[in-house]
Amino acid sequence: MSRPTLSGACAAMLRRDLTLAWRRRGDIAMPVLYALIVATLFPFALGPENALLERIAGGVVLVTVLLAMLLALDAMFRSDIEDGSLEQLVLAPQPLATLLAMKILAHWITTALPLIVVAPLLAGMLHLPAQVMPVLVLSLLLATPLLSLLGAILVALTAGTRRSGMLLALMLLPLCVPVVIFAAGAVAAAQQGLPWLAPIAWLGAALALALVLAPLACAAALRIALDA
Amino acid sequence: MANWIPLWMHKLGSPPIFYRFAGVLRPWMIALALLTGIIALYGGLVLAPADYQQGDAYRIIFIHVPSAWMSLFIYGVMAVASFIALVWRLKLAEIVAMESAPIGAAFTFITLVTGSLWGKPMWGTWWTWDARLTSELVLLFLYLGVIGLYHSFEDRRQGARAAAFLAIIGIINVPIVHFSVNWWNTLHQGSTVRILGPSKMSGNMIWPLLTMMAATKFYYIASLFGRVRTDLLAMESGKDWVRQIAEKEAAR
Repeated sequence: MSRPTLSGACAAMLRRDLTLAWRRRGDIAMPVLYALIVATLFPFALGPENALLERIAGGVVLVTVLLAMLLALDAMFRSDIEDGSLEQLVLAPQPLATLLAMKILAHWITTALPLIVVAPLLAGMLHLPAQVMPVLVLSLLLATPLLSLLGAILVALTAGTRRSGMLLALMLLPLCVPVVIFAAGAVAAAQQGLPWLAPIAWLGAALALALVLAPLACAAALRIALDA
Repeated sequence: MANWIPLWMHKLGSPPIFYRFAGVLRPWMIALALLTGIIALYGGLVLAPADYQQGDAYRIIFIHVPSAWMSLFIYGVMAVASFIALVWRLKLAEIVAMESAPIGAAFTFITLVTGSLWGKPMWGTWWTWDARLTSELVLLFLYLGVIGLYHSFEDRRQGARAAAFLAIIGIINVPIVHFSVNWWNTLHQGSTVRILGPSKMSGNMIWPLLTMMAATKFYYIASLFGRVRTDLLAMESGKDWVRQIAEKEAAR
């Protein structure tokens, strides 16, 4: 039996995860609906003043997207643990970190990308000025993969436990604080007409670092969690 | 060559030997913590002069600053023990890392509470989203995450390894807390005590502070040893040495 090449295995992994997600299209819509509902709660809670909503719009959208991603993160490895395919993945001859990177990529495409698509809509509902929109999308494009990568490590750590939802929030929150600060900082700076490239550059640097290190950490965490 | 040091370290990693070692050392640590603590409190609350700017309210630093130092120090100890636990799978290192977490969380909590007690008369607010306050709060969340993850596993050793991994990831926050007052110029005052070079504090204020720092260290060791001893008994229950201790206690 011939062994598949690394790129072949990666492509197969990606195709499998995307197909699985596509078969359950309803699940992809859930984080988007959740974000929509949370964002609509803010005008009800704070009052529908345009000036106030405009000022908080960027931050609200970021936090909403973060919360929606947090909810979706829990499911990243669950079905694979239940049917035992995660163990097969660990035993595969290809490096586990690379295969996990593909899983994280598939997860980002199915959960974060739809959120980024609706983010301008959410921001528009909260009266974010149209000229800030590109900066918001850009900061989301850099921040969401970071959250996916960080989250994947923590999900892998909790893979051996049964109740992980709340715990995941507690663990991810401290680690994602810098991401939120820089992403929201870029949007706020753009809104005030200040240069916004510096926080975006920080996000990019962090993303480059996480792209290299997070899959390795995720693989190590998964090995610990499955060690039982 | 004297190779008794590595040999001694190696022996200390064994649960029954560490159990006895910690049992002998613990009363001394409690005594030292009490002694240095009382001296430091007397020096800080009675002997030290009132601050020319803040009056007597500044005296809370004799609790606040040593707690803040300990919150970072214990995180460092926890991370180092976690690293040892993951690399060499030493049972004792796992326990030390996991039992450090609640103590560190307590010191972090004390730091936040005393800080806001001081902040009310000085800054006019209990809480502000200042860089150092926020990063200290994040440190508390990190501690709680480690504790939570440890307890969410059914297998304790597996939980300890997972939580140890989280502790190592979280260490990026420690330099952020430490340097936050230098990096961001916000409300919190800069550091006045220096290890290198002269401190910006008068001598009769600084010695109680340093004494209190020693007291918190001794307290940490005493508390850690107590917790580790209990944990060792629970983890090793069923082993021969635990049975011997249990029989001896029962015969008393």
